[in-house]
Amino acid sequence: MSEIKSKEAAAADKKEAATEETDWAAAKAHFENLKSTKPRPPKPINAVTIAVSSRTLFDMVAERKIFEEEGVEKYVQHQQDHESEPLKPGPAFPFVKALMTVNERLRKLYPDSEELFDIVLMTNNHAQVGVRLMNSINHYDMAIERFCMTGGQSPIGYLKAYLTNLYLSKDSKKVQEAIEEGIAAAIMFKPDVETQLSETQLRVAFDGDAVLFSDESEIIVKQHGLDTFFEHEKQHENKPLAQGPLKCFLEALGKLQKKFYAKNERLNCPIRTFLVTARSAASSGARVLKTLRSWGLEIDEALFLAGAPKGPLLLKIRPHIFFDDQMFHIEGAKEMGTIAAHVPYGIGQKYNKGKLIEAEKQQK
Amino acid sequence: MEDEKNRTGPLMIALQYNDLFDLDSISASTNTEDALPKGRAVAFVKAVQTVNERLVEQNKSESLLFEVILIAKECSEEIKMKIVESVKYYGLEIGKFFFFKKEELINTLQSNKVKLFLSTDRDDVCEALHTGIPAALLYEQSDDHVLSQLKVIFSGDVIGFSEDSLDSLSDFGFSETQIETLKAAKICMKEFAVLIGQMKRRFGQENSPLCICVLTAWGSTNVCVSALKTLREWGLDVDEAFCLAGAPCSPILAVIKPHIIWDGGLHNMRDLSAHS
Repeated sequence: MSEIKSKEAAAADKKEAATEETDWAAAKAHFENLKSTKPRPPKPINAVTIAVSSRTLFDMVAERKIFEEEGVEKYVQHQQDHESEPLKPGPAFPFVKALMTVNERLRKLYPDSEELFDIVLMTNNHAQVGVRLMNSINHYDMAIERFCMTGGQSPIGYLKAYLTNLYLSKDSKKVQEAIEEGIAAAIMFKPDVETQLSETQLRVAFDGDAVLFSDESEIIVKQHGLDTFFEHEKQHENKPLAQGPLKCFLEALGKLQKKFYAKNERLNCPIRTFLVTARSAASSGARVLKTLRSWGLEIDEALFLAGAPKGPLLLKIRPHIFFDDQMFHIEGAKEMGTIAAHVPYGIGQKYNKGKLIEAEKQQK
Repeated sequence: MEDEKNRTGPLMIALQYNDLFDLDSISASTNTEDALPKGRAVAFVKAVQTVNERLVEQNKSESLLFEVILIAKECSEEIKMKIVESVKYYGLEIGKFFFFKKEELINTLQSNKVKLFLSTDRDDVCEALHTGIPAALLYEQSDDHVLSQLKVIFSGDVIGFSEDSLDSLSDFGFSETQIETLKAAKICMKEFAVLIGQMKRRFGQENSPLCICVLTAWGSTNVCVSALKTLREWGLDVDEAFCLAGAPCSPILAVIKPHIIWDGGLHNMRDLSAHS
């Protein structure tokens, strides 16, 4: 089975490699000694690392208000005073819980494998706030053992150092930086309505253009209109689209899915992926499917909407997370109760509902 | 607090001259007139100077300042002169110079009430800790690193592990001496943390010239939380915290770019992988 992370990420020299092995062995031993019910975290190089910010994992809206209105010192003091009060779940909470369910299944089938989901809490918060965050994590019995509190510094360097496969945050600036550095990232939004989500299966929905694929076709639609787009797609049906920012994450999910298929668990696989695209099956859908095939990737369900709104369909799918590059679709999903994550990539950022946003508005 | 008055006075940090200057890069062809080439500790000294400047800005009669002393093991008169000159040349504020024989290192440190001995050599750090001298690792800084902040990392493992956990490390291959060294290191860390905590309180949370980090390489999040709470008890507010649970340290350290790493010699125990 091919690697989820490149071998280049491995230690540069022998001495460093030896130190790393010692660290790994020591941490492993410590966990085994703990005799707790919590599973020990996987070796990062083999795992699919998902970094979540504190505001996506927990609902910190009220606390954020204190930070913005009264400043950092009052905010830290407030968090310290309420240290033993667990925070409420945030938009990424169901997604993280679902990841842990998958890990449980993987551990049963492959007890010695380190190819699991590894969740890292990556936050800008000061370390003092960390105590409350840790207490909250323990309260919900979540298996998050790695974290990074950067005390105000940018997390981008740390994302790379942790070999992050996906970064979820509420801060659009950080997410954009991450995407520019080649890390799959998205801005999470809490839905307006709560929906019941599966507790046994991780369900992830992706938009196609500018999320899994590059925005090359999207550019054609915006600049030359739909008819030119259809013609272009038909002509280039057999030419694979270029990669988009979330392609590698889909790939990582696919690798874990194959582990279940190998053990005859295809029908009962706890990971299910969906493509939800505004393309239509007849005119522009073939290129998408052929591209996926050329990449060796499978997607469980491909839904072509031919321009129909995504909201109602997403309600039927009930994904733990839905990635899209256009705020218009994110808003629609949110309104109907789907947890949506905005991928700020490509030409779609300059448009709103099909119309070009003026330059001044863009700078907001 | 009355205790504060008893504890103020300069915070002495000892550096070795071969960390301050890069003697290995001197060859026969080097111009003897030039100052010695800069070593890894120069960035640290400059950062310490920045902290002192800021402290004096706040309070002209501040007595809790850093004082850096330079220790040098056996060298010629020529080199001694060179060292003193080069220090002046780079604008480094070195309080005292000590030249002595190799065996006298520990005595020299003890008699001068050094609060911290810094070295890039892990073995030296371990040896010093073993004899009860507070010692920490000087992290290799690149020259162009931002010098407006002094960054100190405390090991969350050493501070956060309970007495029992530290003792149980023997199951894992640590010797009795090593465990005792770790316990001694924790006490040294406390002394240093209390002093640094006092210094830090002279500044607000934003724009402070002192940045304190906790790095837990092996322990779970509970160990890290325990470390944070302990440091808080000792009077030191932590800015950044990292919990690695076995993930490789070096990439993270490369992003943090600390000056001082207090790990109690934990990472000097290289033969452990043979035991697992």
